[in-house]
Amino acid sequence: MKEFEYLKPDTIEETISILSQHGEKAQILNGGTDLIVGMRDKIIQPEYLVDIKAIPQLNRIIYSKQDGLNIGSTVTLNEISDSKVVQTHYPILAEACKTVGSYQVRNRATLVGNICNASPAADTAPPLLVLDAKVNIIGPTGEKIIPINQFFTGVKKNILKKGEIVNSVTVPLIKDKWTGVYIKQSRRKDVDLATVGVAVVCVRDEIRIALGAVAPIPVRIFKTEELLKGKLIDELLLEKAGESAITEVSPISDVRSSKEYRVEIVKVLIRRAILQVKRRYSA
Amino acid sequence: MKHKISFTINGDVKEIEIEPNKTLLKMLREDLDLTGTKEGCGAGECGACTVLVDNKPVNSCLMLAVEVDGKEILTIEGISDGTNLDPIQESFLKHNAIQCGYCTPGMVMSAKALLNRNSHPTEEDVKEALSGNLCRCTGYQRIVDAVLDSAKKGGKK
Repeated sequence: MKEFEYLKPDTIEETISILSQHGEKAQILNGGTDLIVGMRDKIIQPEYLVDIKAIPQLNRIIYSKQDGLNIGSTVTLNEISDSKVVQTHYPILAEACKTVGSYQVRNRATLVGNICNASPAADTAPPLLVLDAKVNIIGPTGEKIIPINQFFTGVKKNILKKGEIVNSVTVPLIKDKWTGVYIKQSRRKDVDLATVGVAVVCVRDEIRIALGAVAPIPVRIFKTEELLKGKLIDELLLEKAGESAITEVSPISDVRSSKEYRVEIVKVLIRRAILQVKRRYSA
Repeated sequence: MKHKISFTINGDVKEIEIEPNKTLLKMLREDLDLTGTKEGCGAGECGACTVLVDNKPVNSCLMLAVEVDGKEILTIEGISDGTNLDPIQESFLKHNAIQCGYCTPGMVMSAKALLNRNSHPTEEDVKEALSGNLCRCTGYQRIVDAVLDSAKKGGKK
């Protein structure tokens, strides 16, 4: 690992000032489970490493009936999946957090780190997309709120500009009854990346669908959602939804799977996920 | 530039100066001579380097040493008193849950963390808790048996 300077600010203001000053030479250290591997392999070689884990207000999960759920950027995946509030109000998110890496990794890795790393296969991204999550960003020019579906800009790329950090993610309250599911297809059950990830939420007459690992970024498939809206779900419609879904993605072949397999499994998983949320919805 | 950090390691308070580009795993093995913690993949996939930081199992290859400032670390060396093994270790011996032994310290630490948070785990709980620890010899069953047996005896030998 190349040498670097380690900084541990305890305020957001100080963090922004360090990041603004050093630009691309600086890198945020959160859980570090992706970053440290990248640094070991010399793919990422920061000159300044800014550890944000000493900033108290980033380490909170807040829930209110008005604003929904707010997850601070240093909250770990295990803290989220163990949170009673998350289990009760957003079980799909607790489920998805548990599919990342291993128990040890989840004691370090964070949800905000997972989305900032911006892997197309990020397991927390599809659930956040179907929940219409908002990303709270703070930087030299102040605060802004970005819908999660505008946050990812390419493979391992996000919308953050120089000096900006994500301080939390907000998952709005869904007032009507709803159910959701995240299904991760991978080669082995744990410590693997998603070959394909599918999140589906059923609310009112709407079915929302997001997919991971089948495009340069995690995506909502709005055309397919439109096709399903207000309709009675039967075999024919499920088949149509699968065919429509594959027109909205652009999977590639890699070590985990061929492109052809991904196309087939998207159809299978969409069918499975829709039937599951419908079953949970009527239960 | 070296950083001065202090932490508790296996019950002892330690203060050392450390380079920021050193992982916790490297510090344990090279600076503190605690070579019971093993390096397998070095990328958070195999769990051989599992230690407990503030009672939680983590991959020590995925943490920088500077990050443990003010924290409490428990390694495989810290769970026995030098003469008597931890009940989990005894159970591993009894069930022949070891072949080459390389994964064993990590397995034991993950099992230790599980029994700390859940004293009556099911077989499924054990498998889930150990899913981040790879073993290429035993086929896992004997390891799972050893942990379940240890839990049944309530931490006694």
